Formats: sequence, structure tokens, C-alpha cells
Amino acid sequence: MTHDLGFWTLQTLNALQLSMLLFLLSIGLTVIFGLMHFVNLAHGSLYAMGAYFGASLAAVGGYWLGFFLAPVAVAGVGVLLYSGLIKRMRRSGPMAQVLVTFGLIFALLDLTRIFWGDLALALDAPALLDGRVAFLGVEYPIYRLFVIVLGLAIFGALAFVLGRTQIGAMIRAGVDNDAMAACLGINVERLFFVVFCVGCALAGLAGVVAAPLLSVTPEMGLQILIPTLIVIVIGGLGSLKGAIAGSMIYGFVQTFGAVLAPQLASILIYALLAAVLVIKPVGLFPAKG
Amino acid sequence: MFRHSTLRYITLALLTSLALFQAFTAAYFGLEVLTEILILAMLVVALDLVAGFGGMVSLCHGALMGVGAYAYTTVSVTLGISPLVAMAGAVALTGAAAWIIGAICSRSHGIYFIMATLAFGQMAYSWVFEAPIFGGDDGLGGIPRLDLGFLGIDLNDSRSFALFCLAALGAVYGAAVLILRSGLGRSLSGVMHNEQRMRALGLTVWRVKADVFGLSGMIAGLAGALAAQHIMYISPGLLAWTVSGEALVVVILGGLGTLVGPLVGAAAFVLLKHELSAITTYWHLVVGLVLIGVVMSRANGIFGWIEARWGARLDRRLADATRKSAPEEVLNDA
Repeated sequence: MTHDLGFWTLQTLNALQLSMLLFLLSIGLTVIFGLMHFVNLAHGSLYAMGAYFGASLAAVGGYWLGFFLAPVAVAGVGVLLYSGLIKRMRRSGPMAQVLVTFGLIFALLDLTRIFWGDLALALDAPALLDGRVAFLGVEYPIYRLFVIVLGLAIFGALAFVLGRTQIGAMIRAGVDNDAMAACLGINVERLFFVVFCVGCALAGLAGVVAAPLLSVTPEMGLQILIPTLIVIVIGGLGSLKGAIAGSMIYGFVQTFGAVLAPQLASILIYALLAAVLVIKPVGLFPAKG
Repeated sequence: MFRHSTLRYITLALLTSLALFQAFTAAYFGLEVLTEILILAMLVVALDLVAGFGGMVSLCHGALMGVGAYAYTTVSVTLGISPLVAMAGAVALTGAAAWIIGAICSRSHGIYFIMATLAFGQMAYSWVFEAPIFGGDDGLGGIPRLDLGFLGIDLNDSRSFALFCLAALGAVYGAAVLILRSGLGRSLSGVMHNEQRMRALGLTVWRVKADVFGLSGMIAGLAGALAAQHIMYISPGLLAWTVSGEALVVVILGGLGTLVGPLVGAAAFVLLKHELSAITTYWHLVVGLVLIGVVMSRANGIFGWIEARWGARLDRRLADATRKSAPEEVLNDA
């Protein structure tokens, strides 16, 4: 099995697809942390809400309506959270933030159960992306390829915005030293708000994109949270490079671990995380040196 | 250094007498709830020891408790060794595991420490979940309770078991106070307040952190061994990270760094959970909102709030007394 080219192609694509999904989630979380020093454990719940909004909107107007509007709806939830809670918790220590957002996980979990019920919802991939395509000797679902392409496109767009535009320079300045950035005339508070909303929208996008691959359940937010946190801690908080590197490492270790060493697969990634924390306690590519 | 104020003694006496009253008067269900509170209280005392006095906010204490439960079960059921040895083994093993985690994480601070402990907890969770000797998702059952027949006590009786857990909690609390008053405990609070200064004074900081984390892990392991005996069945859900999160919630709800507060928090949390789940299936929503409210109010939990009010009252009295005002006036004022 391991001598077959098709096997490696298939597993590489699977790993890439998982990585891209995690990237969409972790980039929002990591930039919010890097910029605002805010730990948002409820990021996974926003992802679950994205999947639910997507499934509901898709039931009304088809997949693409959900695809485009669910991130907007989740960004709306983000606006509410920001003005209600997060703005006030900005200056508290990490423990208070962890606890408030842990409380939010509980609250949002039950709110989704109240609105959408306990049963799993299904969201079908759109007709355009249905079916399989032959790719380097393997038959691969088009929808999964779409997820990979989408992730890469978002990565490219973010790399461009963060690296080549004025707002990107402002965000990088804010991550580096927010007080100095504010002294130079950047409205850091507004920047935080925009970044937070974009992060929420990306979490929502990840949710609606993941929905056809998994079933939509209230617990999906809790299940994705730990992998996302592992990604950002391995990658280093606050940087785009860290998020993509962490996602790739997680995706490949998890996928290839599961097929090559199934007994070890579950603890492999945690052992890797522990090793990273021992050798480089701040992650591989932290935003600040 | 940890001190018992009058208020703390009063609260402890009140809690103990309430627990004793409950133990002797309650029926089966009441005793089960009481035992649940007592076991949770042990876990949160362990957590308060590291989080409240050492600044090490751990998200793996639930998993440590699970390690204790699984160690006890494996030794007593799978290997068939006597429960007493199994309990000692569970406490020692969990302590050793916690010591290693503490040593590895001692360089991390703040959010990195939280994440690192979370990762170790999840590691234990997935290992227990996957390894066939632990029964996987089905868990393990048929767990025996400690045999205290030579003392004429039958722990299979709910009342005796509740009293046994109360005694264990008393011992755990006493041990925690002793640890905090020892040189180790004083070094720990020094490390929490200024790690660099303690290092400059020649203290091996990582050893202090690891030692206290290991001791805290032993307490968590004991809580786990008792939890396994209480339910007589264990499943990997015991090690899930949300259990650690809930333990942290209880510590915060009660009052971080007060040692007495978490006991109050444990009682409040379990009672709230049982009352709410009888009314609505969405009790997590209420718990979540209460938690957000408590943290955002910036009071140090229920007990911390009471302590602050009490302290303010004492200050006012003191101020009045030094102003040489009439004693009656002071009493009226208070």
C-alpha cells in the first residue's frame, strides 16, 4: 500500500484539506490573539454557528446563499460579542478571558441546541462541486479539492493584505507594539474591531465549508477547538506564517499518523506539541521574536 | 502565606457541620449528591493550590483525576490487587505524572501554560480512549470500594462512603494548608509574585513549580480513585478537557486563592447543576451566563466577595474605634 503513488496522493490531498480547514479557523484566532492579546475559546462555537447558519440558509436558497451569507451572519454575532463582552475584557489577564469565553462556549452551545435542536443537520455540497474527478491517478471528491483551493486562496489574499497593503502594515504594527502604533496615529481600537470581525467571518466560513464534509451538530465547535489551539500554539501566536505552518503540521501528522501508525496517531500530535513547547515555548513562528 | 481568618474558620465550621448534617439525615439521593460535592471539592482544592497560590492555571486537572481513576481501576480490577494498594498506587502514579507535566510546563507562562497543560490532558484522554486495556469508549465497570471491614465499616453503604469522603476531604484540606505553610509553599507564592526575583535569590524555580504540581496531582489522583469507587464505573469522558474547565469554573465561582472559597464553589456548582437540570435541559446556558457574570463583576468569586465585604466592615469598625467614637454608635453603624 505504501509503495503505491495513488496512496500518497490521496493522503496528501486529505492532509491538505484538513490543514486548510484548520487554517481558516486558526488564522482568525491567532491574529486576534496577536493583536489584542485576547484568548477566544469561543472561536470553535463561532465555527459551529457558521455551519448552522449555512445549513439554514442553504435550506432556503441553496448552498451558495449559505456560503456567502453565513460568514456575514457570524461576523454579526462577532459584533455583538465584541461590543457586549470582549471590549470590556481586553485588559483582563488571560485567565479571566479564558473563563469568560469558556462560559460563552457553554452559553452558545445551549443556544444552538435551543434554536436548531439536538439532531444533526446535513448540508449537501452544491451540484457544481458534486462528484469526483481523476487527479494524479486517484479519484478525488471535487468538493474536497474546492476546500483546498479555497484555503489557499484565502491564504494568498491574507498574505497580500497583511504584507502589501497599508491596513496590513497597520495590523502588523499593532501586533508588534500597539501603544507605539496608537502614538503614530493608528486607530488601534477600530483596527481591533475590524480584525475581530474578519476573524469571526473566517470562522463562520470554515463552518459552512466544513458542513458538507461532517454532520452539523452542536458539539462540532468543541471538537474543532482543541486542534485549532494546537495549531496556533505549534505555529506561534499572532503570525500568518505560524498559522499556515501549524495547520500543515497538524494536518499531515494527523492524516499520515492515522494511516501509517494507527496505534500512535492519537498521541503523536500531542507529543509533538509538548516537544515544541519544551524546545521553543513560544511556538515555531511567533509574531514577536 | 496562607492564613485562616476568622471568617475562614467560621465558613469551614459551617461547611463541615452542613456536610455532617446532610450525611446523617439525607436519604440515598442526597448522599450521592453530597459525595459528588466532596469529591469535586478535593479536585478544586488541588487546582486552587497550583492556580491560586502558584499562578499555574492548569487545564489538565480533570485529566489528572481521570488518570487516578483509571490507575485505581486497572490495578484493582484488571490486576486484581487489593483496593488499598490500588489507591496508594493511583495517588503515586498521578503525582508522578503531574510532576513531569509541571516540570515540562514550568518554563511556560500565562496562556502558553494553559495551552500546554490542556495538551497534556488531551494526550491522556486520547490515550485512554484508544488503548484496548482501558475498555475504550465503553469504559470499565465493576470497581470495588475500599474494604474497611476490619474497622467495622462497610463502604458499600452510601452513608459510610460519604463520611469516608468527608474525612478524606478534611485530610486533603489539611495537607494543602500544611503545604502552603511549608517552605515550599512560601517559595511558591514568591515565584507567583516575582519569578525573576526568586531566581535571583538562588531558588530553583522549576523544581518548586514541579513539586507543587506533583503534590496537587496526588490530591487529584486521590479524588479520581474515590470518584471511581463512588460511581463504580469509569469512562474516558472523565478525562475530557471540559471537566478540567469545569473545575476551573468552580475555583473561580468560589474564589481563587482562598482555599475555602473553592469548597463553597463546589457545593454551589453541584447543587446548581442538580437543581437546574431538574428544571431545564439547558442548564449549561445558565452556568455559562453565571460564569460570565461572576468573572465580569471582577469580584473574586462568591467567597472572595464575602471576604471583601467582611474586610471592609472590619476596616470601618477599626476606623471608627480609632476616632474614639461612642461604642453604641459603632454597633449601630455596623
